[in-house]
Amino acid sequence: MDYLIIGFQDVLNPTTLFWVTVGVTLGYVLGALPGLGKATGVAVAIPLTFYLEPAAALGMLIGIAKGSGAGSAVSAILLNTPGEPSSAPTALDGYPLARQGKAQKALKMGLYASVIGDLLSTLVLIGLAAPLARYALLIGPVELCAILLFSLTFIGGLSGNSMIKGMIAAAFGVFFATVGLETETFVTRLTFGVLELDDGLSLVPLAIGMLAVAEMIIQAGNIAALDHESSQIVDGAEREDRIVTGAEWRRCIPVILRGTLIGSIVGILPGLGASVGSFLSYGATKKASKTPEKYGTGMIEGVAAAESADNAVVPSSLVPLFALGIPGSVIAAILIAAFILHGLTPGPLMFQQQPRLVADVYASMICASFIMLAIGYFGQSLFALIIKVPLRHIIPAVLLLCSVGAYMETSSVFSIYVMLAFTVIGFFARKLDFSFVTFLIGFVIGPKLELTFRQSLQLLDHRADNLIHHPIAVVFIVLTVVTVLWLGRSGGGGITQASAEALPQAVGPASGQTNEKQ
Amino acid sequence: MTHFDRRSVLAATLALAMGCAGLAASDALAEADYPTRPITMLVGYGAGGQTDLVARATAHVMSDKLGQPVNVVNKPGVGGAVAARELKRAAPDGYTVLFNSNAMINLAPFLMKNAYFAPDEFDYAGMITAFQLAIAAPKDAPFDDIAGYVAWAEKNPGSSAAALAPEARLYINEIVKKTGIKVNIVPVQSGSEMINALLGGQVMVAYSGGIHYRYPDQLKTIAATTTFRHPSAPDVPTIEEQGYPLGMDTRTTLMLPKGTPQAVIDKLTAALKACAGDPNFKKVTDAADIPIQYLDAAAATKEMIDSTAKNKAIVEAAGVVAK
Repeated sequence: MDYLIIGFQDVLNPTTLFWVTVGVTLGYVLGALPGLGKATGVAVAIPLTFYLEPAAALGMLIGIAKGSGAGSAVSAILLNTPGEPSSAPTALDGYPLARQGKAQKALKMGLYASVIGDLLSTLVLIGLAAPLARYALLIGPVELCAILLFSLTFIGGLSGNSMIKGMIAAAFGVFFATVGLETETFVTRLTFGVLELDDGLSLVPLAIGMLAVAEMIIQAGNIAALDHESSQIVDGAEREDRIVTGAEWRRCIPVILRGTLIGSIVGILPGLGASVGSFLSYGATKKASKTPEKYGTGMIEGVAAAESADNAVVPSSLVPLFALGIPGSVIAAILIAAFILHGLTPGPLMFQQQPRLVADVYASMICASFIMLAIGYFGQSLFALIIKVPLRHIIPAVLLLCSVGAYMETSSVFSIYVMLAFTVIGFFARKLDFSFVTFLIGFVIGPKLELTFRQSLQLLDHRADNLIHHPIAVVFIVLTVVTVLWLGRSGGGGITQASAEALPQAVGPASGQTNEKQ
Repeated sequence: MTHFDRRSVLAATLALAMGCAGLAASDALAEADYPTRPITMLVGYGAGGQTDLVARATAHVMSDKLGQPVNVVNKPGVGGAVAARELKRAAPDGYTVLFNSNAMINLAPFLMKNAYFAPDEFDYAGMITAFQLAIAAPKDAPFDDIAGYVAWAEKNPGSSAAALAPEARLYINEIVKKTGIKVNIVPVQSGSEMINALLGGQVMVAYSGGIHYRYPDQLKTIAATTTFRHPSAPDVPTIEEQGYPLGMDTRTTLMLPKGTPQAVIDKLTAALKACAGDPNFKKVTDAADIPIQYLDAAAATKEMIDSTAKNKAIVEAAGVVAK
């Protein structure tokens, strides 16, 4: 604690604060641009920090990571184009809100949820880094496999109106994730001799195609109506549509806290990543809601759930890095190199050898949270002007951004072909009412489930009775079975829901009952 | 950021092409002036990886030395094969180079079907760092070498070993073939996953690309799987010293399209050599436990041919068929 005060004294000077602000701003802009993410930002910025003091350099790099988490919500809400894959669930309700003329409300909630999630998760990192990290190592492939199985089952049950359609979409997601090198024999699967497919389909062009481009094409299909709508938006924006009201705060605070908790846990567990966190939080919020059928039509809670979890993942993924020197995420793996360059070797000894530098890093992380609030607040009033532009002018610009975003990651035109292919799939998924959310979740979790399952088979020496050495895994397997039974019983309810779609009044009570059982 | 770089490169290419059409400038003059415009350095991995960091440090030093920007463009895919294909298409004028591990040429083709480059398909300006490939184990493991591990595994059948790449399977399978121990091979997909498996006690040994040297208090090296002992662990014998003739070296290599003029290669080699003595470059490689082992163009070409022949023989003797 004493060190933290010294840390603040070190950080609260114009130079360090300036560089942290530069980092957050850079991250915010990179995050808002589709395809450019925190990993690219930090990697490119590492050489630039050679000439800075360690505290300023590390503060700037962490600022980039934090800022991009918040920035990615901006394009998700305004353009339905997640700046980073982990903001994909933000777009599900944020974009409808924006189309209803509530862009500023959605942006503000996204920012507040981001900052709260980020700040609380930073406090989790500071307070619990050492004690929590000991447990992180207990989560090996066997435990992870059980946790993923549980997550996939849980999310699979949330898939829109028809459970069967949801499962079909998820299965397609898993199917597309099998493309590429198989991990045990290194045989290529479903690549048809195309070299670019050896490493599998990349999430970024796939998500951009399914979410943004497909949406733009559908929008272009009824452009006359939308032009009319957006001219109304310009005129009709009420003050309540631009701010987050007290009632909304009351509804969203529990959602944000749950999102932060989910994001923090996902961050600490190795190998899950921000996308899993935000999708899980969105799914859990939808499940817990009394009106799950309204999600996807502009529920402010959806934005709060996704963004709080998305941003909570970044600081908490540094927990295993700081306490054990193990990167819990891609961004943590990149930060290792930067930390070592600036004389801080992540690991348990770091706290004994360099307590002051650790405190500096903690202090600059807290400062970055508040700087993020300020940057976001001023930034979004600029960004929000976009929504007032008629859609017919936005669509070409978004298509350009999408193509650039898909291209950036690999510097390859092939990614644009991938984007276009999944635009077609996304278009028909929308038209035929298949959930592209469950598709994406299947795509993200599927390969991890396969890998950990294969790892588990080897680690358990191919014997099921060796599971008794993995009590955490057993707990999650039991939970999975319980969830399946519970979903199976309320599965009838799901079908009723689908057939009752024509009668929206009937849906409310039915799903309300389902939630009471939970 | 990168796409601006690329765009300026494109613009420069266009301008030069138009200039050439008008003036028909002599090749010899162009070589003597080289470089007159920015150089594109392809990197066959995503931004942020270990080799990417070394590449960026290399580009930094080289652009100081050459007096022109060296722009890093990440072209990830299949361990560099996607970038190598791009390099093959580029003009052999020294303005497009590839910084990559030579494993793409001297090892991967014998283990996987899709990577298909031969040493004589490129020119080489030099090599700068070596990978400290090794078999690693937890610090408290009750053995210090392969023989000790085998003795331990005989008493503990059904233990696990982590394999990050096809060559990792080859090493474990060769030891199994020779000694008959029973061990499960657990696939892992990244270096950090491999470290987690070792630290978490899930596996007893793992094949490492060198990052285990960052955990000197928790992990140790059982054998260097290179032909040389590692600067980070000079007391640990190589796998060949331990009775398995399986040492396979891989190094970061500055690769050029075939037919690059010798004068251009010489300038790039000189610029690469400057990295070996640069304190900032050393700072980057030291931070990642990557030893600098500079080889000039001639030595790099010889190393490429020799190591490819050696590795091919090892893989074929092990009976591994590229799939």
